[in-house]
Amino acid sequence: MTNKANNVESSEHISITKTLLLTLPMMFFTFMMLSAGKIPAEPNKIIALTITFIFANTIFFLMLYKEKTDKYRAILFITYAICFVISFISNLMEIRGSMAISQENLLLCKTPFCHIVIPMTIIPLALSKTIIFPGTMVGAFASIASMLVLWIGASLALGRGFCGWGCFFGGLDDGFSRIFKRPIIKHINPKWHYLPFAVLLATALTSAMLLNPTYCEWLCPYKTVTEYVEVTTTKIFIQTIIFVSLFLALVVILPILTKKRTQCGLFCPFGAFQSFTNKINPFEIRINQEACIKCKRCIQICPAFSMTEETLKDGKARFTCIKCGKCVDNCPKGALLFHVKGTSLTGSAATFRLLFLYPAFLFLVTMAGSNIQDTILRIMRLITTGSMILR
Amino acid sequence: MQGFFLGLSNGLVCLAYCAPVFVPYMLGEGNGIVRNISLIARFLAGRLFGYLIFGIIAWGINKAVLETLGYRELIIGNAYIVLSISLIFYSFLNVKTFCAAEYVDGYFYKIKSSWPALFPVVIGLATGLNFCPPFLLAITNAVAVGSLLQSLFFFFMFFLGTSLFFIPAPLISMLRGFAALSIIGKMATGLIGLYYFYVGIIFLINGIKNI
Repeated sequence: MTNKANNVESSEHISITKTLLLTLPMMFFTFMMLSAGKIPAEPNKIIALTITFIFANTIFFLMLYKEKTDKYRAILFITYAICFVISFISNLMEIRGSMAISQENLLLCKTPFCHIVIPMTIIPLALSKTIIFPGTMVGAFASIASMLVLWIGASLALGRGFCGWGCFFGGLDDGFSRIFKRPIIKHINPKWHYLPFAVLLATALTSAMLLNPTYCEWLCPYKTVTEYVEVTTTKIFIQTIIFVSLFLALVVILPILTKKRTQCGLFCPFGAFQSFTNKINPFEIRINQEACIKCKRCIQICPAFSMTEETLKDGKARFTCIKCGKCVDNCPKGALLFHVKGTSLTGSAATFRLLFLYPAFLFLVTMAGSNIQDTILRIMRLITTGSMILR
Repeated sequence: MQGFFLGLSNGLVCLAYCAPVFVPYMLGEGNGIVRNISLIARFLAGRLFGYLIFGIIAWGINKAVLETLGYRELIIGNAYIVLSISLIFYSFLNVKTFCAAEYVDGYFYKIKSSWPALFPVVIGLATGLNFCPPFLLAITNAVAVGSLLQSLFFFFMFFLGTSLFFIPAPLISMLRGFAALSIIGKMATGLIGLYYFYVGIIFLINGIKNI
């Protein structure tokens, strides 16, 4: 039976009423997360909240009704990344008038903490009881404690699904990877799949050696669209050239040419580190080998290089899988499925998928909600006052 | 701690290339965990001995060459640059990494039959004296530190860093993942090479300023 046939058959089963009933809990959860327990007083904030709420729940409804995961996840995920960049830069412009962080602000630990730095903080924390990042522990925007708690929770619930559903940067290369219909570069040597682990090892060791988050300082391409250290020395100038070049190569050009998330799949040390959390997470992508015809469509389209010839033999995705669901959506025989570890493969694939979708989607809305609302507010401000930034 | 972290970054490559050489010997000799621990202790002692010899040689180079010739920063800077480039080359291109133990295979048999107790020490020494770019970079680093004690300490820490990977190898079945480990290890040392390239440039700039 083909996937199309599967979908036709299942769409006969899943009615609008049933989909609405399944969406109701998500509507409640997302309303609580988006409103933070109170209805705003200002009309523009009510509008922003309403638009975000309707947008998110329409996406979830379509995800269930059309039985496509990645197709609808990508819309929200990419929107989230774009809104994050707009919101973050606008906030920086309001607070300090520039995207560049001054040495004074660095010394005052006023840098928002980012999850990518987590693997680099572990060895120095164990050796010197110091967190080698100029951030605030509690009480500030993106404080170290809040990001750590968020990361632990997401890792337990989703494993490396964090990269497919929660990372505020992932939507950028995901978005660029969808520009062309077909890839121009079709083959990448599998040796490069190990590069993120090498970057992880090298940056974790050099961070411990120098007591500095070396990845953030030298390599992180996302500084191009968030914040960077003010160029005051030749060293910082060289660092700026490096991270801007990496952004152009790994986040823009290579995703367009390969249709893959090259920054996430070939470079990001956090992604490599997060892969290990897939081992303790209950959700995985499995291959029903009886239904699989080895057409290798999943290998071609997997954005994170997590489907290979070996995975087809093993019957499950590599441990680097970001659980975006693209392979599940596109398998012509419906042989790929979301699965809960320790249960039978013959169980209900729809139930397994639903069990994964609730925490994954809620996490995405939780992460994306405030950024989307803030961007809507800024667009309204742009229309009414001519500027996105509150001065 | 630089020696320790350089050792850690290099250790994975050492393990990936040298373990297939020494593990069969170790397992052939070993008979239970206690016996294996004794073998590993002797193996690591041989490795430590080899590294300490190099600590003394590095100090000797500093005393005999650098302090006599002058231009210390220029010479060290150049050595860093050349070695880090070779490290990057060795990491990202298909250059065969060797284990010194492979080249003394015939002698191993003689030692094994004549002095079986000394055998793991000799293997340890042979796998320790690996003239790959990371090891040469470690020598340059040790040369740069100056005193004999500092040089010995640098190589002792380098030994600790590389040895961490060897401790569990004969106890658990890690042979299956060696190919992946070697790729990751080589790429990581290449990236560390980029850092040492930068260090070399800084040394060179300071050296030029001091002329």
